[in-house]
Amino acid sequence: MTFSGRHVISIADFSRGDILTVINAARAIEMQSAPRTELVGGKLMATLFFEPSTRTRLSFEAAMQKLGGRVIGLSDAASTSTKKGESLADTIRMIEQYADVIVIRHPRDGAARLASEVSRVPIINGGDGGNQHPSQTFLDLYTIAKLYPALLDGSAPLTIAFAGDLRYGRTVHSLLTALCHFRVKLVLVAPRGLEMPAEYLQQAAAVGMDVSEAPNLQDAIAQADILYMTRLQEERFPDPLEFDHIKASYRITAHMLSDARQSLRVLHPLPRINEIAIDVDQTVHAHYFAQAGNGIPVRQALLGLVLGVLI
Amino acid sequence: MTTDPPTATNTKVRQVEAIVHGTVIDHIPGHMTLKVANLLARENDQVSIGMNLRSARMGRKGLVKISGRELDERTLSRLALIAPGATVSIIRDYQVIHKSTVPMPKTFEDIARCANPNCVTNHEKWSSRLDVIGHEPLHVRCFYCERSFAASELTLV
Repeated sequence: MTFSGRHVISIADFSRGDILTVINAARAIEMQSAPRTELVGGKLMATLFFEPSTRTRLSFEAAMQKLGGRVIGLSDAASTSTKKGESLADTIRMIEQYADVIVIRHPRDGAARLASEVSRVPIINGGDGGNQHPSQTFLDLYTIAKLYPALLDGSAPLTIAFAGDLRYGRTVHSLLTALCHFRVKLVLVAPRGLEMPAEYLQQAAAVGMDVSEAPNLQDAIAQADILYMTRLQEERFPDPLEFDHIKASYRITAHMLSDARQSLRVLHPLPRINEIAIDVDQTVHAHYFAQAGNGIPVRQALLGLVLGVLI
Repeated sequence: MTTDPPTATNTKVRQVEAIVHGTVIDHIPGHMTLKVANLLARENDQVSIGMNLRSARMGRKGLVKISGRELDERTLSRLALIAPGATVSIIRDYQVIHKSTVPMPKTFEDIARCANPNCVTNHEKWSSRLDVIGHEPLHVRCFYCERSFAASELTLV
């Protein structure tokens, strides 16, 4: 399916072939030593952020500017006419008059899909409530594929461990959906009550993915090529004492990684709070900042593809 | 010419009185019978309700008869959501002229609210869209927020 003019709303909308197209485009952009400022010259991207998310907005803005495009935007809902009661659909109908592509972040689940039904220019979902954040998933996949090219050719199955809040963490849900297109073994480790929801386990089972649960973080570390950490949120725990206890058992330290495979890499969508100790940063395993950096070529790729300047 | 009303001698004994013209909704899961009657009946409709009737297929079932009216497509969609598997018979002049299981749409558009309180369709003036992803029991997924629900969790619009 051609990308030109396409909306980027949910990772579930993308086939394996689509995902490979994005990864290959990101790789090609990253391998260019000179900035490709001619690519989208004259095109305008609107960032429509109804809730603050500095890193996602900056990453999209940096990506667009590196492609030679220009950026206009709203960084919070307080400055938009939704405060005056304007509907989301009308806001989109107005912004599409100005821009060639719109990146939207919105606190309501499904807002980006609604926007895509209204807009004639491509909508890129920069996060809709607790639902989807597809550019994060593409950059996660790109990061894993850069570390382990075997992900794409399937020559050797990778073992990927997800740890932390697997129930509410949208990044691990979307990543699981995307990984269903590839040959991986999944290891899950989560506090009781925050396990991966059944519908995602069914998705994995439907494609024959090998999914197992690890009893603790240390056990997951021993098996994994990739350890994908997520944040534990205090509001998910009714009992603050329980949160303190769980928080301690879902924190990795440099010491815990001493027996890990040398090739193990730790990923995290960031920001981290307590779940990765600072001393992990100095180990060969820390890869979360490089992962965030991959957001630029991946978002350049997405923008270039939907604007029709990359094929 | 009007056909004579059915009697015990010209038909099997009915558990709920026959109607001349209208719609009979049969094989309603017992606990949904009053809900179906409330959903379908308009203010001046003449409605007969049978509850806990004997059924070879279901053990016990509910039945609702509405005199003088046939159901439109939207009403049938609402019925499909709350009583999938029910049968709908169109009665004209005491005769069943059409009988079928309530048609199950692939998508319910603006029939029920998404059960996710944070779904954008519960905050904007925008129609809900719930795609059927499973039967027995009926499950749907919101096209917008991508959450899945059992039909029993939904509230009709």
